[in-house]
Amino acid sequence: MIPENFIQSNLQGISFIGPELILTLAILLILLVGVLLPYWRHRILFTILAVAGLAGSVLPLWKLPQPAPDLTYLSNLFVWDWLTFLSKPFFAVVGVLTILLTQVTGEIDNSEYSECTILVLAVTMGMMLLVASTDLLMIYLAFETMGILSYLLVGIRARDERSGEAALKYVLYGAFTSGTMLFGFSLLFGLAGSTDLLAISQKVAFASQHPQDRLLLIVAILFFLAGLLFKTASFPFHFWCPDVYEGAPTPITAFLSVGPKAAGFVLFIRLFYPLFATGHDATIYEAVSGLDWPSILALVSAITMTLGNLAAIHQNNLKRLLAYSSIAHAGYLLMGIVSLSDLGLRSVVFYLVVYLFMNVGAFAVVAMVASAGGSEEIDSYRGLGARAPYVCVAMAIFLFSLIGLPPFAGFVGKVYLFAAVIYKKIYWLAVVAALNTVISLYYYLRIVKAMFLEKPTETIQIQVPLSSRVLLLALLVPTLGLGIYWQPLARVVSGMF
Amino acid sequence: MFFDFANVFIFIILGLLMTFVIITVSRLLAPRVSDVPDKFTTYECGERPVGSAWILFNFRFYAVALAFLIFDIELALVFPCISVYHKWLKAGSGLFALIEIAVFVGILFLGLIYMWNRGDLKWTKEVPEEMEEGLVLEEEKPITF
Repeated sequence: MIPENFIQSNLQGISFIGPELILTLAILLILLVGVLLPYWRHRILFTILAVAGLAGSVLPLWKLPQPAPDLTYLSNLFVWDWLTFLSKPFFAVVGVLTILLTQVTGEIDNSEYSECTILVLAVTMGMMLLVASTDLLMIYLAFETMGILSYLLVGIRARDERSGEAALKYVLYGAFTSGTMLFGFSLLFGLAGSTDLLAISQKVAFASQHPQDRLLLIVAILFFLAGLLFKTASFPFHFWCPDVYEGAPTPITAFLSVGPKAAGFVLFIRLFYPLFATGHDATIYEAVSGLDWPSILALVSAITMTLGNLAAIHQNNLKRLLAYSSIAHAGYLLMGIVSLSDLGLRSVVFYLVVYLFMNVGAFAVVAMVASAGGSEEIDSYRGLGARAPYVCVAMAIFLFSLIGLPPFAGFVGKVYLFAAVIYKKIYWLAVVAALNTVISLYYYLRIVKAMFLEKPTETIQIQVPLSSRVLLLALLVPTLGLGIYWQPLARVVSGMF
Repeated sequence: MFFDFANVFIFIILGLLMTFVIITVSRLLAPRVSDVPDKFTTYECGERPVGSAWILFNFRFYAVALAFLIFDIELALVFPCISVYHKWLKAGSGLFALIEIAVFVGILFLGLIYMWNRGDLKWTKEVPEEMEEGLVLEEEKPITF
């Protein structure tokens, strides 16, 4: 017979996935509107519906009980902790910015616009589910919801060859790595006999004492890493990143570079800390004995940032350049994961928030210049500072923030990341990261130099509409504001772990 | 624990052995003839190939196959619900289960409407005029390796 309390607990659990349900409703509504009004393809209608759906998805969060680390719901599939609670609005903001950017740049055709908004909402829903999951099956399901729909988003311009090529590369790479990750999951399930992360973590701590199981654990970790490093675009699974970022429509590139990447890092925190680390004291963790995954990750982090920065130097296409810069930033972010402390985790989350605004900002400028008659090549930016001062100053601010110069938000984020590894006494990694910051200075400043110090080679007039300016302002305010007054965010983040 | 994998290990060994066994047996049994034209055809067993394999497939096949797959899975997921529905009725939560299934089927139905509306259920889909210019078929080139 069906136990009555099972139904009751499931019904209660439904209120916790309110954001996802509202997003689903919004998706269905947009789908229906797109079907019912085929000749009235007003982009603004879809934009309003999508933004309303994303904004509405955040509303039920404040009606829910106080998050707690052990508050699970829907048969232990999800956990309601601070990381879940704060990630959901984060991804909603990512979605809203992407949709507004698609709206103002007009890079996606009207005939594909409703599908594009639907897919952005659906990927956002996948990311929201992913960060809350504590069950291997649910994690994989959400991971694939996010993954498969983002392949579609990359190829949304069906008649564009570059878009199609990028989507195909993304699919093949993604299928391979997520399959590898699933294999890792199956090994872990074979070891622990459960898909629940809590149950697995107890078994893992036990198994790591036995030499024959330790080998299995190491293989499982390496297979895990394939999926996670792919999503975060880190070495050695970064090859897809430049091609996909270049071929995808620019707003989608911005979305991929902050949304799924952030989800990947949250998954890092979700998987590695409960599974392969034990609480040493209140704020410091220790890798499960016999498994030195922090050292592996430290190496990956160092190689990722060096490779990203060195490859970015020679890029003339801004989207490719920013793609390599996003690889380098994945390397910086990994420093926080490596440090195995609460400080490290906080710094990762802090940096992700800051990175959201500055990176979307940089891509927004690229999209706006391209849609206003320029191109994505650096030649279009020569002497642009005189013709479009507002956009160029904004671009310069985003780039300075990406370098990590004070007084911009990127600086504060980087300070936290550096502090985390120095506190853990991994000095060599901090030195590598500092050297990398110097390398990155060169190619970011190349754009700034082209904009303000060089003579224009093209004489096109860049007209940026008011709506774009307002969107840029909305991205500038946090980039500047969090660089000067970051304590509120730091306080919120430090409450999480 | 290692013993649990003995089955798998035996399968791997057998699988590897079988490869050699089959090749050896066929080598022993097969008549040694050379220069028979049939040996150089695609299927070596007497089946004559009809035309070239490098033809244009109807791409529409995939859309229909995809739709079929979705509704096939729908059936597979709804069927277990139906089989326990009687128990749910007795437990007094029949309405809850009904709503659950209705929502699930409703979402898929909306998908069907969307597909229908896009004309993906027709075998021959008409390409809008503005897209047609991008659809110039290249002349057939002989494929060389």
